[in-house]
Amino acid sequence: MAKKLVRSVFDFEEGFIETIAEVPEKEPEAWAPERSMRVASKGHPRVDGYARTSGDARYALDIQLPRMAYGRVLRSWIPHGRIRKIDTSEAEKVPGVLGIMTYVNAPKIRWYRDSTLFDPHVRYEGDEVAFVVAETEEALEQALSKIHVEYEELPFVLDAEEAMKPTAPKLFKNGNVRDGKPRIYERGDIQKGFAEADAVVEDTFRTQVVHHAPLEPHVCVVNWEGDRLTIWESTQATFRVQQGIASILKVPLNKVRVINAFMGAGFGSKLGIEKHTVMAALMARQIGRPVKVVTPRKDEFLSMGNRPASVQKLKVGAKKDGTLTAISLWSVGPGGAYRSGSAYLGTPAREMYKCANVRTEEYTVYVNTGPARAMRAPGHVQAFFALDSILDELAEKIGMDPLDFRMANIAEIDQVRKRPYTSKRLKEAYEAGARAIGWYERRNKVPGSGKGPLKRGLGVASQIWGGGGGPPAFATVEINRDGTVVVHSGSQDIGTGTRTIVAQVAAEELGLDLDRVSVVIGDTALCPYGPTSGGSITAASLTPAVQAAAVEARERLKDYAAAVLGVEPERVSYEPGRYYLTEDPSKSVSFEEAARKMGNNMVVTTGARGPNPKGYTINSFGAQFAEVEVDVETGKVRVLKIVAAHDIGRAINPLTVRSQFEGGIIMGMGYALTEERWLDPQVGRQVNPNLHEYKVPTLADIPEIEVIIVSEADTKANTVGGKGIGEPCIIPTAAAIANAVYNAIGVRVKELPITPDRVLRALGKA
Amino acid sequence: MVSFEHANAGSIKEAVRLLGQQDRTPVAIAGGQDLMTMLKDELVRPGLVVNLKTVPGLTEITYDERKGLSIGALATLTDVEEHPVVRAKYPALAQAAAAVGTPQIRNMGTVGGNLCQRPQCWYFRGDFPCLRRGGDYCSAAVGQNKYHCILGGDPCYIVHPSDLAVPLRAYGASVEIVGPKGKRTVSLDDFFLLPSQDVRRENVLEPGEVVTWVRVPPSDGAKAAFVKFTERGAWDFAVVSVAAVLRKEAGNGKVAGGRIVLGGVAPVPWLAGKANAALTGVEPTDEVLERVADLALEGASPLEHNAYKVPLAKTLVKRALQQALAS
Amino acid sequence: MTKENEGGGVSRRNFLKGLGTGLVGTAVATKITVAGPGAEEKQESRDGRVPVALKVNGRLHNLWLEPRTTLVEAIREHLHLTGTKVGCNRGECGSCTVLLDGKAVYSCQILAVEAEGHEITTIEGLLNGEEPDPLQKAFVEHDALQCGFCTPGQILAAKSLLLKNPHPTREEIVRGMSGNLCRCAAYPSILRAVESVAKRA
Repeated sequence: MAKKLVRSVFDFEEGFIETIAEVPEKEPEAWAPERSMRVASKGHPRVDGYARTSGDARYALDIQLPRMAYGRVLRSWIPHGRIRKIDTSEAEKVPGVLGIMTYVNAPKIRWYRDSTLFDPHVRYEGDEVAFVVAETEEALEQALSKIHVEYEELPFVLDAEEAMKPTAPKLFKNGNVRDGKPRIYERGDIQKGFAEADAVVEDTFRTQVVHHAPLEPHVCVVNWEGDRLTIWESTQATFRVQQGIASILKVPLNKVRVINAFMGAGFGSKLGIEKHTVMAALMARQIGRPVKVVTPRKDEFLSMGNRPASVQKLKVGAKKDGTLTAISLWSVGPGGAYRSGSAYLGTPAREMYKCANVRTEEYTVYVNTGPARAMRAPGHVQAFFALDSILDELAEKIGMDPLDFRMANIAEIDQVRKRPYTSKRLKEAYEAGARAIGWYERRNKVPGSGKGPLKRGLGVASQIWGGGGGPPAFATVEINRDGTVVVHSGSQDIGTGTRTIVAQVAAEELGLDLDRVSVVIGDTALCPYGPTSGGSITAASLTPAVQAAAVEARERLKDYAAAVLGVEPERVSYEPGRYYLTEDPSKSVSFEEAARKMGNNMVVTTGARGPNPKGYTINSFGAQFAEVEVDVETGKVRVLKIVAAHDIGRAINPLTVRSQFEGGIIMGMGYALTEERWLDPQVGRQVNPNLHEYKVPTLADIPEIEVIIVSEADTKANTVGGKGIGEPCIIPTAAAIANAVYNAIGVRVKELPITPDRVLRALGKA
Repeated sequence: MVSFEHANAGSIKEAVRLLGQQDRTPVAIAGGQDLMTMLKDELVRPGLVVNLKTVPGLTEITYDERKGLSIGALATLTDVEEHPVVRAKYPALAQAAAAVGTPQIRNMGTVGGNLCQRPQCWYFRGDFPCLRRGGDYCSAAVGQNKYHCILGGDPCYIVHPSDLAVPLRAYGASVEIVGPKGKRTVSLDDFFLLPSQDVRRENVLEPGEVVTWVRVPPSDGAKAAFVKFTERGAWDFAVVSVAAVLRKEAGNGKVAGGRIVLGGVAPVPWLAGKANAALTGVEPTDEVLERVADLALEGASPLEHNAYKVPLAKTLVKRALQQALAS
Repeated sequence: MTKENEGGGVSRRNFLKGLGTGLVGTAVATKITVAGPGAEEKQESRDGRVPVALKVNGRLHNLWLEPRTTLVEAIREHLHLTGTKVGCNRGECGSCTVLLDGKAVYSCQILAVEAEGHEITTIEGLLNGEEPDPLQKAFVEHDALQCGFCTPGQILAAKSLLLKNPHPTREEIVRGMSGNLCRCAAYPSILRAVESVAKRA
């Protein structure tokens, strides 16, 4: 396939990435909405379903190699200090210990821009202090307990607003505000906007720190064979791990292989290079044995990332007819102790609703707690809680239904980049969702007017997100001589069903049944580059590449079909399942017959993702409607139902799409009602770094969920027509629930999570 | 976990003997649903773990019209939850057993273990200053105390984590204990210790002693209910729980007497004495139930973050009473 | 053996070389005797390890394990059955769920030595020759999984529920499965899958 290089820009997690990308000269024919689909766009069970339900699937946690040793990080148990002395002599004597690394003997590898692999200035409970490798986990634990660290303890700060003050303890020389300044955006004239308003509302909202808590912890197994390094890693970023480790260890890429066939979820916490992987690789090389690192669950909470808390001060104004005239947002959040994930969250205020006058001022601040990592729709989940709450307040002030208010403020174009969307069916989402939940019929006209003690209410919130993906992304298709096919793609399946949609897209273009297509995924030695699974970009980036590879493969197989038919290839046409003589369709050969003709030849093609359309923004949109029941005597909030209506382009697999939405919604409900990181303010350490006091939803907590996809293929976005869904599903849930709680009890809770104690306090009962 | 030896006790006598060997720092294991966590976090560092599950006869649940209910300390929570006599005659107990943790926890967790488990206070469990673990001060007093106690605290503010203790105390149950000095029976009114009595232990068990039986008096047609309030639908310990066991006067709809016990509010299952007194000989109207609920929480002194437990507990007292009366 | 590290700047002499001096090289069998009749303690141990006979998926395995070895460690590290997962190692997530005499339990919260004499079933034990269990089929058909890490535990919890109660109501299914976390929150599909088997049975 002829390819060319282009500049490509795509949306990734609150920012834009610009790259050079190889794209096809001629893209495959786009799958128009009206195209009759055989395999893709159908709800197929996952092709790796049997592997995952039988125990066959091997996760990084399951890799066991001969002579494998175990490694673990020793972490700081103070929130801020300098290591005065670190004594490993007793630990080294523990039988079975193979090596210990600290800042004294470790290479000074740059990390977080302002720090190193081991930094003697520890900045949070959980900061890396030592790395021990031992023959058994028992010896490992014993050795860890025998490492003596003397700290000079420093004053610490836990709260972002506190950390902004000039008197706050400093984590870095240049102060605690990242980059020394906020991110500021302005359009229009904010003062004029407020002056024009008939009603103005100002309010402050707070959200909590939450954790990704994937069930498989962060795990790696590192093995050297001579100068070749193999890494099994539970990651969302197979190729990035390969590239990062190769670069850090100065090993050529052709000698580094990362294998990630199955991984136990990440939600954003597994997008980077892990320090422990580097440490394990260094030690494994030193001791000549494979090293496995399994992060203990407690360390997952302390050190493997979080969604930052937020304080959001919003001021909004609108005219009597509901037209928004001004939105002003001031926000701050704790990015944690190092330059990792951020607390910026201004995109919804800038882009969700139509408003000519917008100002956002956002701060990310260093504090002595675990560094943030992008967590499923970073920024947006926090932001919509505040934004959709205050817009409900504004709608109430002008006496307008909150849904009508939103419908009156649908932006036709991307107001920041001042260009159209490839597709936008937000209005359809509002309408479909409203119908499904019975919005106008069942919503309390007067909030809190139910009899009690069980009071019900409805709430709505909106969603916008990137997820258009983009090049580079590649896939390889091989046709076997029996007509079966193997697709190779360097992305990973983090639980979203990537393997399955890759198979579906290939099967669709090759006219095959799904079980004739196998997929190899998540292996840098066996697959061409595939994007990281973050930002909801995987499906939209990858599937067109698969499509392109499949189209070219069936074109190339035509040569063999022509050979069987005894004519030149130009006289042969293709339709699903067969190749036929164009002038006499009754003369044909099946796909399998054409493949058999290959003998020991093999059709192998590589497909590339085409470029994103210039001058367009590719976004998903949606709305969620929540019905809650609040017990005003106990404060308990029960979510009865969520209706989720979303525009996500083509649903390549409606079965897995529904699963993603249900999953994101339930995670969003956990964010709204039960999940919260607790720190002790006296000693600056987490009191609930475990899965029993950090409360993720159980099966006993789930609401009824209805998912409505209001979109069809968006072929302007890419030739398959799908947009990403991994994050859209969680974005509006907490906001909708909060608005529903207000509708139920007539009092607004402006802090998350909406736990029983907060409800009772809001009601004045406690 | 530290390294330890393991012994399967073949009889109670042998268990007591093994647990008496202080030089081996022995600890007893029943269902293990709490002890295993404590072993892994090295809150307990034994030299010997003595398995009580191999002692025959301690899993039985028997009932006698005169003597009442006898539950072997090694009966599992699932056994208790599902036992037809417990369900019929001691419904609050069956409800409490059913509310513990998760099915997996109930399949292994035992009655004795549930009563004797250590507190869930995150300062006690974590590496924080803690009086109960012999430290200098109570971190919860001025720290994150949303889940801590509102009654009976000082100088330590734990809540007792046992769900079973709440209805068992309401039913007037006792425990039979066997130890180096022989057998003794202790009423649940006396089994648990307030921090002011002993900040290092939750109950009166001496080293080497093991709970063998729980004896519950005949319930004589008492009307009872157990309600447990949690933030999630499974796994959680009670934020607040209430067991109400009531006796109705014959023929006139009045309450002859009752015992209300609260969980999640105090370091022991809390007997609401004044509330109980106010129940005697009264018609259970809404006003009466309100007053009883107020009395149950009289003297509550919340900490910085747990004042919400007062109205919550009052609501639960009322609802437990209403459910008991309706049963 | 590996060469001196060239790129990383770490020198070999800074690391303790413990190879060959570990316990394995100095193994000694100790006899432990306890005075008194009827002592059920193990009579012999090798460096603190005791004989443990575990019956897993119908087969008896004779292992030498430290008493502190948990059942999930025995299953995964000694029997190399990695279908059972470890998510938290504290009985707080359910990923380690196996069946003990048909009842769902957290294998991370059980000492292997105490599982002797019981029938242990792991996810690998559900396969009936080549034929998947109806629950496995239902989980795949209803998409009751996403990343799949909790899935073996979920299926075994469902199995335990249906063994005891072949026709549970929806509430009973929710209750019976509530001890297994799924962070991907495939819960609605898990419920649909188990309901479909419960109806069929």
